[in-house]
Amino acid sequence: MSCSELADAVSAYLEGELDAVERDRFDAHIRGCPGCRLLVAQSQAMIGALRGLEEADDDDVDGDDAPRGPIGPEKERLVALFHEHGFHRRAHRDPGIPLGLDGALAAPGDHLAYFWESEQEFEATVGFVAAGAAQGETCVLLGHEGVNDRIEAASNRAGLDTATLRREGRLHFASGTRSPGALLEILGAQIELAVDRGAPLVRILGNLGWGRPDWPDESDLLRFESRVTNAVRKLPVIVMCAYDVRRLSGSVLLLAGLECHPLTYRRGALRSNELYVPAEKFLGALPPDAGSDEEGPTK
Amino acid sequence: MLVAHPQASAADAAVISALRDGDEIAFTRLVDQHHAALRRIARLFVSSSAVADEVVQETWLAVVRGVWAFQGRSSLRTWILRILINRAKTRAQREGRTVPLADGRIAETAGAPSSGAGGSAFSPDLDLTQDPVNGRGSPLFDPDPSPEAAVLVREARAHLRAAIDALPANQRTVITMRDLEGYSSEEVCNVLGLTGTNQRVLLHRARSGVRARVAGYFRKK
Repeated sequence: MSCSELADAVSAYLEGELDAVERDRFDAHIRGCPGCRLLVAQSQAMIGALRGLEEADDDDVDGDDAPRGPIGPEKERLVALFHEHGFHRRAHRDPGIPLGLDGALAAPGDHLAYFWESEQEFEATVGFVAAGAAQGETCVLLGHEGVNDRIEAASNRAGLDTATLRREGRLHFASGTRSPGALLEILGAQIELAVDRGAPLVRILGNLGWGRPDWPDESDLLRFESRVTNAVRKLPVIVMCAYDVRRLSGSVLLLAGLECHPLTYRRGALRSNELYVPAEKFLGALPPDAGSDEEGPTK
Repeated sequence: MLVAHPQASAADAAVISALRDGDEIAFTRLVDQHHAALRRIARLFVSSSAVADEVVQETWLAVVRGVWAFQGRSSLRTWILRILINRAKTRAQREGRTVPLADGRIAETAGAPSSGAGGSAFSPDLDLTQDPVNGRGSPLFDPDPSPEAAVLVREARAHLRAAIDALPANQRTVITMRDLEGYSSEEVCNVLGLTGTNQRVLLHRARSGVRARVAGYFRKK
């Protein structure tokens, strides 16, 4: 090992990252080379001096009234934040998150229906995705064949770099499966993964495949929609389900759109929905289950 | 505390469960443990302390909300750090700043003295373990320095600080997290999205750069 090879390996040596053979060569070299021995000692000393440097800086500026650590009012603010925004004590919605539609504010745990009838209204759902992207959130497009592509194309036209978002793991696409239970599991896994990666919030834009062959049938999709509300109630998640009022049947619009969503978005406003029916009641009133998978809460 | 936990420990699980129950003491303890380090790390990405404070506040908000969905695939500490870096990067992008390690690569080399060219990386005059003036044990390592020694410590620290600040952003980020904050290489790779090799290269360049700069200061003495 030459002196320059040794200099390149100092960090790895001090980290204990050299393998046994390299370490022996390293040790052999410094035994015979006072210069390199000094280099290693210097490096070690410097790393020792660096550790704790930040705390020391904080201590130094402390005397100049510079804020450090969470003390006094700052700590009180954080405790207030904990109780105000934590789900443990929350009796009411906690709106404050831009929905991305006409300045409306949503809350974590919201499940809302978005009714649209024109292409323009459909494309406006891009605002929901864009608002999340701007905040470092993760978006999941849960949609039937073709519709996710249309949203991506519209997003690109609106200036959103979906390729980068995909690469950074901040934009995901999920399609339908036959089983409503599996659909909930897919959503749950996407949410957990996003939160684990540090996303402050997860947005889900649903365009469910009503009446499509590779999706659950209508009664199973109703069960799915009804369960989503409780499943996300205590999660950093906003779910917006888009409903095409020109194409979907009256019963889907009434039972799924209106009775499964505590909130609706229509004509520029997010409103609480008086037609909403809690899942326990809604599921009980559905016709007997025709062989779909498990019942019960998912979370 | 400086050991990497690839997965949440039993202690983490207890904290997570306490937070879900609304345990204020568990929350303030968590804040006490991490707040100051989070502020310093946020500062690596954004333009001012005020913005860094906002980023840290947003991080705590995300922790408070996310704890219900957090499954403990990583340690609590790594998770909080990941949220912070996510928020800080988003904020930096909005500020139009170049985000350190935005693409996980290590392109920049300018300003970084490459190490080890024929032994030029070390400085025979420099020994941080020794007091540069009196040749005694360095005041940097004296737990209870005299007033004069304290001035020296402050000065030495200021030079180290300046040397770190002079590094390219990627190197500064890595050396700060590794050597100043004591995060493990696994944690740093994980939260910054670096490969092990890239992390090692950045750390090595950063250390060499700092050593070269502080050597100049100690030689002048």
